[in-house]
Amino acid sequence: MCLGIPMRVIARDGFVARCSARGIERDVSLFLLQHEPIDIGDHVVVHVGYAIQKIDPVAAAQAWELYDQMLAADAQDAGARNA
Amino acid sequence: MNAAAQARDWLARIAAIAPARPIRVMNVCGGHERSISMAGLRGVLPDWITLIPGPGCPVCVCPEEDVHAAIGLARRPGTIVVAFGDMLRVPTNGPRAQPRSLQEARAAGADVRPVASPAEAVRIAHENPRQELVFFAAGFETTSAPVAAMIAQGLPANMSVLLSARRTWPAVAMLLGADTPGFDALVAPGHVAAVMGSEEWRFVAERHGLPCAVAGFEPASLLAALHAVISQHISGRPALENCYEGVVTRGGNPTARALLDGVFETVDAPWRGIGTIPASGFAIRPELARLDARARFDIAADPARTRAGQMPPGCDCARVVLGRIAPDQCTLFGRACTPRTPVGPCMVSDEGACRIWWSAGTRRRRADAAD
Repeated sequence: MCLGIPMRVIARDGFVARCSARGIERDVSLFLLQHEPIDIGDHVVVHVGYAIQKIDPVAAAQAWELYDQMLAADAQDAGARNA
Repeated sequence: MNAAAQARDWLARIAAIAPARPIRVMNVCGGHERSISMAGLRGVLPDWITLIPGPGCPVCVCPEEDVHAAIGLARRPGTIVVAFGDMLRVPTNGPRAQPRSLQEARAAGADVRPVASPAEAVRIAHENPRQELVFFAAGFETTSAPVAAMIAQGLPANMSVLLSARRTWPAVAMLLGADTPGFDALVAPGHVAAVMGSEEWRFVAERHGLPCAVAGFEPASLLAALHAVISQHISGRPALENCYEGVVTRGGNPTARALLDGVFETVDAPWRGIGTIPASGFAIRPELARLDARARFDIAADPARTRAGQMPPGCDCARVVLGRIAPDQCTLFGRACTPRTPVGPCMVSDEGACRIWWSAGTRRRRADAAD
């Protein structure tokens, strides 16, 4: 539950940012990053709908290598349980 | 160098070390344990390193009484209870005739809904203005900060929060205060530290003399942190190292910390099956009591309830959470207790060590099992 997912900001309206990762888009709150300038194209770590930290694109890409594996494992796990 | 090459490099550097004595490294984050298990790190690391999953699952330690209270609120007419998905299946110790989990309460007709975010809880409250909405929110600091932000941004009049928020480091401090902590070094949780700052973990090295490194979730970051604590262990110079730079800073997220301070107060708090740990919980400040489900509704402990606060009968989740035993040392593991028919919370949650080990097919190595 304490795992955040890196996403890229593609639009912003006040504290609400439209963010994208792996083709999925979500509205994300920037309320917890009021101390940081967040621009379109920036990467943020998103946890339960809130951006908790701004990160560089390299860190975001590395994290996604791992999450792709996790999602594949989750799909397998769910498949095994529903079988 | 790509991430896989970095991981191989760290692995080779660790393999080249020949320490005089073995080392037991605890992690306190379900996300770390998932990465370790999925990458199969236990199988490729030298046998003088034992990786121990510790208190890293907020759902697992959420007080049994709080789940019981949430079930009670869900059964109240005109009330909707929402919670992060994992919480719905967590079992309590009630009589068989009554719902013993939120999921069972829902099957019996209560309005219980899983949510993935505070925003979703607020939306459901707005959509149902004639009903009371209770957001049952369990989590460590990473989740507590968004919950604090949600409260600070304002809740609909029909909404309140049943908070079961816990702080991670006091549980580690409790373990380190014991006669036999059971580990020699700590890998500190990356996203808790992203919010709270790496400095929160300095006490591990400076007060208790144990090596400590903050890690991210990629194998390369975890292996870098393992290399850091092993090197400290060998040199006899414990320190705090940050192996998750770019995400974790010394002071963390200042807005999140200010919101946590403004909305919550720090309290002594019970951990399921473990007992009360000093300063380990967040509670909603008294001036915000109207948003606190504990103040808004009559949530009285039922003195007739036996095993209140305990893990389910026969379940060894409490010792698993504390790292005293490995998941596969519980006699129920993989037999009476599987993700399909979980007996204890550690088999329910995605962050629970039992669930992670079962899903990844993890077992103790022969070297560790002989301990």
